[in-house]
Order: sequence, then structure tokens, then C-alpha cells
Amino acid sequence: MGRIGLMVPSSNTTVEPEFYRALPRGVTLHTARLYLTQIAPDSIRRMVEDMETQAKLLASADVDVIVLGATAPSFLNGLGYDKELIAKIETATGKKATTTSTELVQAIGHLGAKRVVLGSAYDEKVNAIAKAFLEASGVEVVGVKGLALVDNLVVGRLSADTAYDLALEVDHPGADAIVLSCTNWRTMEAIERIERDTRKPVISTTQASIWGALRAIGYSEPIEGYGRLLRELA
Amino acid sequence: MYGWRGRIGLLVPSINTTMETEFWRIAPEGVSVHSARIAGGRHGTPEELRSMESASLKAAEDVAMVEPDVVVYGCTSGSFFEGPEWNKKICEQLSAITKAPTVTTAGAMAACLMANGHQRVDVVTPYVELTNERLKQFLKAHGIDVAKLGSFDMLDMFDHAKIQPDEIYAKVKESTTADSEAVFVACTQLRALEVLDMLERDLGKPVYSAVQASAWQAYAAMGVDPKITNCGSLLARLSEPGATATAALRHFA
Repeated sequence: MGRIGLMVPSSNTTVEPEFYRALPRGVTLHTARLYLTQIAPDSIRRMVEDMETQAKLLASADVDVIVLGATAPSFLNGLGYDKELIAKIETATGKKATTTSTELVQAIGHLGAKRVVLGSAYDEKVNAIAKAFLEASGVEVVGVKGLALVDNLVVGRLSADTAYDLALEVDHPGADAIVLSCTNWRTMEAIERIERDTRKPVISTTQASIWGALRAIGYSEPIEGYGRLLRELA
Repeated sequence: MYGWRGRIGLLVPSINTTMETEFWRIAPEGVSVHSARIAGGRHGTPEELRSMESASLKAAEDVAMVEPDVVVYGCTSGSFFEGPEWNKKICEQLSAITKAPTVTTAGAMAACLMANGHQRVDVVTPYVELTNERLKQFLKAHGIDVAKLGSFDMLDMFDHAKIQPDEIYAKVKESTTADSEAVFVACTQLRALEVLDMLERDLGKPVYSAVQASAWQAYAAMGVDPKITNCGSLLARLSEPGATATAALRHFA
């Protein structure tokens, strides 16, 4: 039904298993890696330099869409930066492209949320950039809390319970949705529980990436088990 | 953490669309697959196959970051083309970068045939003649004779994935000789995994594939039994007493 090309930071151990678990039969996933050790601006800048080369490798497998499955790298330089990256990938490959940050903003809008709280694996510096990106995209951020991690491998070792706990901690009566950010952070298994216990929709960056990739290849059947966003895929 | 039972670092030729899918199909609870792509073109020319050796070093650096328990160099022709010594060099280079044992598809092919005591086998490939000759030489160097070789004869490696499982089934059947001990389907782009069980039943002899043999040796290296019972006899009996898992390690390239 379609081939999804995914670019992941080299140290990411989470996003491939979470994609595979959620993707419907007939949709296949093909991955390329971008060298990244730390969730920090310098490290991320070097990663982006490798992006066009890796995108071309995915294009050689004739994928239907290329997803930059990394959150911080796609919002690093503020509003419009994700679109620049998309243009770079599309020009280099001739394939349709998107990024995690792009799909995050799209998904928030799709669910009709205006004010969100943000839970992330990041430290204060990266959280401030994330907040600024969301607000510049027209989403009000009424609360932020991060796990203060910069070592990406450490993020991959966390259990999904940490996502549940942080989501409930950062949740705020003024928020109409909960955003969980970082594709190396296990969030997918926690989404249903958080939605049940907070009665609010949850948008995780991995979930939004899967949603965006499936929409890009024209897939529109509901996917159960990962929150409202994928259940209402249509 | 995902892959708490074992993390496989999988290096695939950039054009490959089959191996990641089949590796995930095999992966049991607790095992994760993390891929990186080996840069290269789509035509399996000698230059292309040779260049994969150096291009794989970059892919290995990228996949090393997930701290894999085993690294798989997932290309048959890209590991047998220049012979056993070349294959060994690939393993040593990739292991030095990733700090993990390396399985190459050609090494796994030879190991699986030797571990099961086969000396005369039929082979099915998508390759052109020169590559087929190199494959025979590689097996000969491991004491294995090829009785019959059936080929789809296609230079374009991307197109190998377009060959349907039923076409692979038919090609294996027409390429099997009466006195061969087993059949091996080479090339990690060929979608053979889903027809191995029925081929073994219908032919009454073991049938192996490139992806399956690579997985077999990778799981043996990790000490994990995927308990996969519908992907051929090789993977089904990984943890049986006296089974081939220890042999897989003994024949490590």
C-alpha cells in the first residue's frame, strides 16, 4: 500500500519499533540514520548536513514519502525552519517530504486544540525553543516540563511510564490537549491511558509522525490503541 | 528500552525494500531492528558490489550509536563477490566500528549450509552470470557444490524486490534437482521468506533464504530464539537440543 522512508537520529532506539508496531499491514518502513549524539544545537546542526545524502538513499528505495523523524532538529531554527528542511529534501529527491515538527503542528490543529501543555525529554534550553516554535505556529503553550536530558541514548532507555507521569504532572486545567515531544522517548503505549485519565487528547511527536506519514500515502483507516489522532485517521 | 532482549543493527543496500520488512516480521517481543543504509546505485555491477564494502563503514558508524548486540551486513552478493577473505575483512571492519559481532549474508549462507551438513545444493538467485559464477566460487571455497543454479538474471537490484513470492516459489521448484540436499535462495531483496515453509513441504528438503540465514546467525549471536515457526525449518528449530544455533556460532566468519 505504500513505503514510508524515515530518517532517524543515529542514536534513536525508539521510533523504529514504535512505527512498526502501529503501521498497518501492507505499509512498509525503510530507515536511514543521521549521525546525532546529543540533543544540543551544535550536534543537531551537523546532523542536518547529512540529511540530503540520507534522503537520497531512501529515495533510491522509491519510498512514497520521506519523514524527518526527529523533533528538535526540525524546530531548531524557529518558525518556517521545518518547511526549509522539507524543501531541501524534496529538491534533493523529488519525493514528498515532511518533518515531525510539521506534523506535530498539523495534528494539534486537526484535533482543534488551541492551548496545550508540553511534556518533553528535553532540558530548559531545548524546551524554550520548542515552546517558541509552537507559539509562532499559533499554538499557545500554557505549561512546560522536561526531563532535562541531553544524552539521546539515555532518553531511549526510559519506560513509557515516564511519559504517563510527566503528562499528568504537566497537565493544567487551562490546556485542551497534551503534547509529548521527542521521538526517542517511549510515548505510544502511554497515550491511551493519559487520554482516559485526563480526558484530553494527546499528541506525541512519534504518533503525529506516523499520522502524517500515513496521510501522505493516502491511508485513511482507523488505527486503534494509540489515541484519538490515529483512531480518527480519515 | 526497546530491544531489551537484543538490538540488531541492520545495514541494507540503500535500494533494498525487502530485508527490513522481513527482519521485523521475524523479530519477537524484546528484539528491535535498527537500520542504516549502505550508499550505492541500483545496478549490481562489479564496481557497485565492490564499493559497498567501503560505503558500509559510514552506515556502521550510524548504527553503532544504538549499541547493537549484533550487526548484519545485509547483502549476499556484496559479501561474496570478492571471496571469503573479502567477506572476513568486511566482518572485521564493521565489528571494529560497532563493537558487536558482524553477520554477513554470504557468511550466514555458508554457515547455514555447513552447519546442516550440506555439500551439494541448488541455488536460486536474481543475479547475472558473472555474479552467479562468483557465488559458486564462494560456496566451493566452503566445500559446497552447486548442482543447479536458477536465475532471474536481472542486473537492476531495485527490481529484484518486484519479483513476487509466487514467482520465487516457481523458480525454486524448477531449479531443484533430485539429488541436491537443500536449496538456497540468495539475495536479500528477494521476498522468499513467506514461501519457505511451503517449499520445504512441497520439495521434501530444506529450503533456505538469504534473509532467513542472516537472521538465524544474528539470533544465534544474540543468544535469542525468536520461536518463529512459519519462516522455514532453519528458524523454527533454533533452540532445540542439538540444534544449529551453536553451529551457527562455530561457523562465524
